[in-house]
Amino acid sequence: MPSVLHFCQWVYVTRLATGIRESPYWFPIIEGIHTLGITAVVGTIAVLDLRLLGVIMKREPVSSIARQVLPWAWAGFSVMFVTGLLLSIAEAATNYFNWAFRIKLILLVLVGLNPLIFHLTVYRQVNSWDLASITPGRARAAAVCSLVLWASIIVAGRLIAYVNM
Amino acid sequence: MSLLKFCHWIGRTHLGIFMRDSTYAFAIVEICHLLALAVFGGAILLVNLRFLGVAFKLQPISLVARELLPLTGGGVVAMFISGFLLFMGGSMRYYHNPAFRLKMILFVVALVFHFFLQVRASRQSSELSLNSNLLKLGSVVSLLLWFSIGLAGRAIGYV
Repeated sequence: MPSVLHFCQWVYVTRLATGIRESPYWFPIIEGIHTLGITAVVGTIAVLDLRLLGVIMKREPVSSIARQVLPWAWAGFSVMFVTGLLLSIAEAATNYFNWAFRIKLILLVLVGLNPLIFHLTVYRQVNSWDLASITPGRARAAAVCSLVLWASIIVAGRLIAYVNM
Repeated sequence: MSLLKFCHWIGRTHLGIFMRDSTYAFAIVEICHLLALAVFGGAILLVNLRFLGVAFKLQPISLVARELLPLTGGGVVAMFISGFLLFMGGSMRYYHNPAFRLKMILFVVALVFHFFLQVRASRQSSELSLNSNLLKLGSVVSLLLWFSIGLAGRAIGYV
């Protein structure tokens, strides 16, 4: 895809990208905040996933956990997204060829589709299983997908730096 | 045995030499450390936000502290084990690394401080005794401590 490559090369030489890449401080600082942002997204979503799997907070209604956890997950997501974008453009030209980066982008799309499907299907009838300690199979499947996908995103994300070395 | 001697010795054990010389061991253990961080950090965040009264408002403080204890406690154990393996692979380097020293001091303080708060809260049956400004102040201190540990951890690789 030459047009995508050209775009990456154009982004790579912008002042913002060059500034982050060449500064001795910006990249590690943004990277540190990115890591903590991931922690906020994944750790809070994991609490909901573990409730769906009946591991923790078994007696609390699923909808109550979801309502209270998701705003914090979104807050973490915005931190992760903004810092992730900055890190991506700083290394755009090398990231284009980085297989770990490509895998991570695919995984991010999948991890977005998972809750979309969950909310449009099984979660619509949450009233009927809200208090169940063992939730419907499709809800448990969504929880397992979420945990596995997020874990893979963390692995792929760390590998980006190892592959770029 | 002094700390310096301990670092010398631990780096020369079979496991220490393996962690240093293996091509993939460090990367794999580091990724495990990050996976544990994700679960641990999110749970720590939610527990402290509950203490502050901004998250999980519909659930009692003691219930949140109790139900999330396996995640914060288990997470910290997993991070300690994986972190210790990483340390073994370069113990002398880390001994002289100022960011590592700062992280370890902050870690001991945060460990004692946070788990004192969380374990105490998880055992409390009456909510009234928990709803204090002291607990809110404690949760802010705990969050700041863990946040600094995260940044100090990132700095280890750069100083």
